[in-house]
Amino acid sequence: MNRTDFPRLGERLYEDRLPCGLLVRVVPKPGFAKTYAFLAVDYGSIDTAFTADGVRVDSPRGVAHYLEHKMFDMPDGSAMQQFSKFGGNPNAFTSYDITAYYVECTDRVAENLRTLLNFVATPYFTDESVEKERGIIAQEIRMYEDSADSRVYESLFGAIFAHHPVRHAIAGTVESIGEITKDTLYACYNAFYTPANQVLCVVGDVDPEEIYRIAAETIPDRPSPVLVRDYGPAETMRPQTSLVESAMEVSMPTFALGFKTEPAAPGPDSMVQELLGELAAECLMGESSPLYTRLYEDGRIDADFSCGYEGLKGVSLLTAGGDSRDPYAVRDAILEEAQRLGRTGIDPTLFEQLKRSAFGRRIRGLDSFESICYRLCAYHFEGVEYLTFPEVFAQVTLARVEEFLRRTVTEERSALSVIRPRS
Amino acid sequence: MTTERIMLKPGVWLQYVQTDRFKTGCFSFNLLRPLARSDAAPNALLPTVLLRGCSGYPDMQAISRRLDTLYGASTGTLVRKKGEVQSVGLYADFLEDRYAGGAPLFSDMLDLVGRLLFEPVTENGGFAKAFVDSERQNLEDTIAARINEKRSYAIHRLLQHMCRGEAYAVPRLGEADTLTAVSGQNLLARWRQLLAEAPVELFYLGQQPRDAVLEQLRALTDRLPAGERASVPATRVLLPDRPAETVEEAMDVTQGKLTLGLRTDITVRDPRYPALMLLNAVYGAGMTSKLFLKIREEQSLCYYASSSLDKFKGVMVVGSGIEFEKFQVARDGILGELRACQQGEITGEELESARSYLISGLRTGCDSPGRLDDYALGQAVAGLDGTMEDLARQLKTVTKDQMVEAAQSLRLDTIYFLKGVQA
Repeated sequence: MNRTDFPRLGERLYEDRLPCGLLVRVVPKPGFAKTYAFLAVDYGSIDTAFTADGVRVDSPRGVAHYLEHKMFDMPDGSAMQQFSKFGGNPNAFTSYDITAYYVECTDRVAENLRTLLNFVATPYFTDESVEKERGIIAQEIRMYEDSADSRVYESLFGAIFAHHPVRHAIAGTVESIGEITKDTLYACYNAFYTPANQVLCVVGDVDPEEIYRIAAETIPDRPSPVLVRDYGPAETMRPQTSLVESAMEVSMPTFALGFKTEPAAPGPDSMVQELLGELAAECLMGESSPLYTRLYEDGRIDADFSCGYEGLKGVSLLTAGGDSRDPYAVRDAILEEAQRLGRTGIDPTLFEQLKRSAFGRRIRGLDSFESICYRLCAYHFEGVEYLTFPEVFAQVTLARVEEFLRRTVTEERSALSVIRPRS
Repeated sequence: MTTERIMLKPGVWLQYVQTDRFKTGCFSFNLLRPLARSDAAPNALLPTVLLRGCSGYPDMQAISRRLDTLYGASTGTLVRKKGEVQSVGLYADFLEDRYAGGAPLFSDMLDLVGRLLFEPVTENGGFAKAFVDSERQNLEDTIAARINEKRSYAIHRLLQHMCRGEAYAVPRLGEADTLTAVSGQNLLARWRQLLAEAPVELFYLGQQPRDAVLEQLRALTDRLPAGERASVPATRVLLPDRPAETVEEAMDVTQGKLTLGLRTDITVRDPRYPALMLLNAVYGAGMTSKLFLKIREEQSLCYYASSSLDKFKGVMVVGSGIEFEKFQVARDGILGELRACQQGEITGEELESARSYLISGLRTGCDSPGRLDDYALGQAVAGLDGTMEDLARQLKTVTKDQMVEAAQSLRLDTIYFLKGVQA
């Protein structure tokens, strides 16, 4: 396997591609008891419309998530039983852009890894099992519907974007999952779950060559169709709707505010833009900013306030959110402060401090096996090597952050989602 | 990794964990109090006021910018409920010195934490009024926000009803009405009293050698006022002799939350505890449990159904999210699975799956600084000295008969159902 050392980070990465197309990545962590094996598929809730070898498919919303639930079924039972025999603790998630299956274990790494690779390589769906899952997923959707935190961001995405499928909830709706059948699942599985469209990442006290060997023995070769994904027409920088409000059983208004910005090109630029966006948000309204302290001291935000940058295939935005008695005043204060910073510029000392802080937090993040696995896969799908992040820091200058802020944080590009208490 | 428990002075203990596996070092300072309705919220308010300012860093922005210069170090409040004991304090997480070009981040963080604890901003013999007023408002809001997350809210309401009249009914952050009498003066007096009288638990994990840590933490704890530190009273374990009750409440929600509270005389101090823990895993923890496989997978009644134990109090809570009209069938199913355990219907496979699930969980816990800290605090509160590894060893010898006996010790006390307004 190819080995790359990242001495500043104290990490070492081994990687190689299997003949079948699966990329295997291993980060050894000597001395740890646990091993984390993470298999990511470049397929998320936004991939509903696509062509596979020229055949157009328009699948119901929520199919990636439904598929994730049903993957665990095997002809001889559930993969859960296998894992439990080997003491592995498996789980899975579906996000807007990826689906991931993982197992954490302290023992019998080879058996747990084989089980993971095997079950994701084995689609087994019947009319009966697909029908049975509908009730479970419907209850999962109901649970999110009762959660203000989920609802407020889903509503923001629905308002700010006009076409992109990120407008829709990851799990779909109780209605949309009603259209999902065994055939839907097989069609989407065959299109996306090919070895070339997946990455395996293993972190733990393991021998990389051994991991590679197990993967090579376990993963069957399967041809990949030519995939073209359709996310609809490109988004303009204007929100579709600039304000969306609803009411729920909550104690105080909760809000999410977004500012559209130009999506980065795939590749290294996406990581540069992510840091630009993060630092722009921090300089404007992060905990060390004058605005944050002012809003906090005035009682308009509390410690749950957060801000940041989100970017994925074809969309990017700056976000801010939290609880507030007056979300509209918070939005106005953020816009006003952005205008002021546009005139006066950002305090250069603050900028350097925030940069150092962002760097330190990224290194600390490498203590989390989950986070390493996720980043080594998700960034790879975006065409960038996550562990090269120190190089990005040199490219992100004060002038670029100021330019980004001036361009992005404007009223014309913003949308606000508010959930009010039901009176 | 080496672990040592060291008495710094009477009533002041340090759990010292030396390891160079992590890039992040961490530290916590905790004061133990008996959980009491009148004190819980004022105690919980203390660390939030401390984090508003101290000598050298007079406001939030100054503190936050200091943390930025320390490579994105973080500090925050730690308020924990361990049975009928409340623990109140601060934590600090920081990059290990070797990743910060040799900057002495541990010493710098101890300096900051020392200032926060011992040199708060004061005026007129109390904490600054503006800090107290705004943090009181935030805490009142947080307490009111319990209603926002229906899953935890239902458990909160269950325990309030089930343990009425017991200290255990008091939530971790206390109740809002006990904050009205709080002033800067009486809150500072409370803080000084806690510093003088409460047992202190410190936790350190990182690469620093023992002598260096001891020297610096002694310097910190030498600033504590001299005083008697009486240990906190043990949690009371009750088995009220009364028929099980059912409580229903209606709210405008889309999913019902069914919760059941059970009692047992087995706590973490009891030799039968490992058997109860294993029984809980077979019954309702993890994806091979009876509740997951029977209630979710077989009957498709819910997305989640799980049980958990409070090891200090001898209380088991079962929670599930269901359709409103499935109340009876879900309740009967959940109780039916418990009856099966009590009648010895536990297969060898269920037992071994649960055993390896728990042992693996304890071993991965040793890879998590946060869980090591929390486990050490729990052991201190319970007056025990075993490690997670010791508990893992005890689990290895538990037999089915011991689990059945543990199951038979469980008594249903209260059922709480959060239903929709139309139901």
